[in-house]
This record gives sequence, C-alpha cells and structure tokens, in this order.
Amino acid sequence: MEGVTKMNKGLISGLVLLALGIVCGLLLSVVNYFTAPKIKEVEDAIKYEALAEFYTLADYDLSEVEGTGDFGTIFILKAKGTETIEALVYTVSAQGYSGANQKIQMLIAVNADLSVEGYKVVSHAESTGFGADIVNNDFGVSEIDDLSGFDSVAGVTETSNGIKTCFNLVGQRIAADLGGGLSE
Amino acid sequence: MSNKENFFKGIIKENPLFVSLLGMCPSLAVTTSLENAIGMTLGVFFVLVLSNFIISLIMSNKKLAELVKPVRIPVYIVVIATLVTIVEMVMHAYLPSLFFSLGVFIPLIVVNCIILGRAEAFASENKPVDSVIDGVGMALGYGLAIMLISIFREFLGKGTLTVWGDFQINLTFIFDFLKIEPIAMFVQPVGAFLTFGLILAAITAIANNHKNKLAKKVANNG
Repeated sequence: MEGVTKMNKGLISGLVLLALGIVCGLLLSVVNYFTAPKIKEVEDAIKYEALAEFYTLADYDLSEVEGTGDFGTIFILKAKGTETIEALVYTVSAQGYSGANQKIQMLIAVNADLSVEGYKVVSHAESTGFGADIVNNDFGVSEIDDLSGFDSVAGVTETSNGIKTCFNLVGQRIAADLGGGLSE
Repeated sequence: MSNKENFFKGIIKENPLFVSLLGMCPSLAVTTSLENAIGMTLGVFFVLVLSNFIISLIMSNKKLAELVKPVRIPVYIVVIATLVTIVEMVMHAYLPSLFFSLGVFIPLIVVNCIILGRAEAFASENKPVDSVIDGVGMALGYGLAIMLISIFREFLGKGTLTVWGDFQINLTFIFDFLKIEPIAMFVQPVGAFLTFGLILAAITAIANNHKNKLAKKVANNG
C-alpha cells in the first residue's frame, strides 16, 4: 500500500513537471510569435547589407532560392536582362565551438570565375571576446576551389574549422550551380 | 532580516562574485567591454528576479511544494531556462549587436550557479516579496561587480569605455599623455584573471582593515 502511495506521489510530481513544461512551452511560443519576424528582419538586414558590400546591386538582376541542409538563401546575380550568372552569394552554416544548435552562419560571395568577391559572418554564438575577430577576420581566401592559404583565427580552432567548412561546402557545389543546377 | 539588510547583503556582504565567488566563468568572459557587462547584468537581473519570484511562489504553497519537492531541481531548471530563452529571443530581436557580442554566454545563464543557488538557498524557503528583494540585491551586486571589472579591462586594454551602442567615452588621451599604448592583454583572458585577482585582493585588504579596526574598538571599549 505504501509502495503504491509512493508511486502515486512520484507520478503526480512528474505530472506537475509536465504541466510546468507545457505552460513554459506555451509562454515561449507566444514570445516567439512576437520576436521571430523581428529576428528574421534583423538577419535579412545583415545579409542585404553584406550583399551591398560585395556588389552594386543596381547593376544586376537579383533573385534568390532557398537552399537545403546547411544552406540558407542563395542569391543569384545575373547580368541585367540576361540569363548569365555573374555571381552567387551563399548563406551557409557550419558547426563551430558552440555546437550543432548554434552554428556559424556566413555569406560567401563567389564570382562566375570562382574568385571569392567577399565573405561575412552574419551570425554566430562563439566565445565573447573573439566575436569581433571572427566577424572582421581576413581568412585569406581568394579562390573558392583553393583553400590552401586559409588563415585561421589564432586560439579559436573549432570556430576556424567551422568557417573553413563553410567555404568547403560552397566549393563542393559551385560548379554545378553555375552550370545551371540552381532552379528559382 | 529587514528588507534593507536583505537588499544590501547581495551588493556588499554576500556579493555573489567578489565574496561567494559564484558565476565566475561568464563574468570573466563578457567583461571585455562595459556594454557587454551592462547587457549581461540586464539579462541576469531579469532572470534572477523572476526566477526567485516564481520559485518562491511555487514553494510557498504547501501542497504544491510537497509535490514539487522530489523534482525541485528540474522544476528550477525549467523555470530558469524558460526565462533565459525569453531574454535570448528578445535580445536577438531588439539588441542584435549585444546578442552577437555576448554569444554563447546568454544561454549559459541557465546554468549560472548564482541563479540556481539563490533559487535553492533563498527563494525555496522564503516569501515571494523577500525573494524578489533578494534577487534585485544579488543581481545588482553581480552587475556592479562585472561592471567594475569591465571598466578596468576596457580602459586599460583599449583606452575606451563603451557604455551602449555608439556612446563611447574615449580616454586614449590619458595613454597619449603617458606616452604609452593601451595594454591589449587586459581584454584577453589573462587580463580577466589579473583584474579579478587584483580587485579581489583590494577588497579583501579593505575588509580585513575594517575588521581589525572594529576588533581594536571592541578591545579598547572592553
């Protein structure tokens, strides 16, 4: 009898925890409802700001496709009034020091001749203090198919590896994408 | 304990950072600029005050407290994690530069031992109002401590004090006057330990001096 009472108490405690979890989940979904559009706005603003740093957008026909897996939006820049792809700008993510849930997200702009026009870390949750170094660092990449000159951030191995992975991921698919592998 | 004592104990007598030496890891990591310290203080303030209040509210109900007691630590974690996630989402949406600057240390507030410690040691055994006062005192004590560290580190390491966004006080003229460069080491991890150690030594010296004076006074009177 005592065992049953103990089991009931345990079960009720578990149910209390479950109820608390549901209440907290609901509360978070309400906060998310209000903040998610603003977060998307912030991230888009960073991306477009970075795009404008790489190219004069008025000179191109700009379109975008949603990538899959580690890829987010891929921006396609075509010569005005033509179907010739002049450049591709990838939103790509890879795991750094902060784990799989908080990946480093980068924008990598590659010209049709595979030269790297520019790159920018648009979001990350890596260690404080190194943040500025990650965002502003020159990783020494000028050709997407040649990462031999990749310059890591000193003392931040995992983060540097994550950034190198981003370049690698773009390098693996760019030839196919320029050859017509992207559909809008 | 009066409300005044309850409030001030977190700032001086039981300061979580300089006296209890709790929550040191994120404190040393984020104190590279005053702005980071202010942002972290706001986050910890929101989480600590509300978690103290909610946990105290749950535990002051006898029936509910009895049910929650066997699973109280998971309950604390659920409450604290929810509040931290709210801070994270709001900061990402409305203070993106601070969000990116604080990085991984925002979600790590969940496991900050100051918050969990106050929940278990104080909020679970006291009334909601007292718990809120305790939370406010502790959060302010923590905030003042990390702001003090960050002022030293940013000034010595960069010659500036970044208060918020573009509002930055440039103090490089002091270095120019002394004909030296800012000491970059102070914004590196080694500078965090050095600054913390020096401040802690100074506080201990002042406290010991105060104790000795009191002891002498008692001895003279006795």
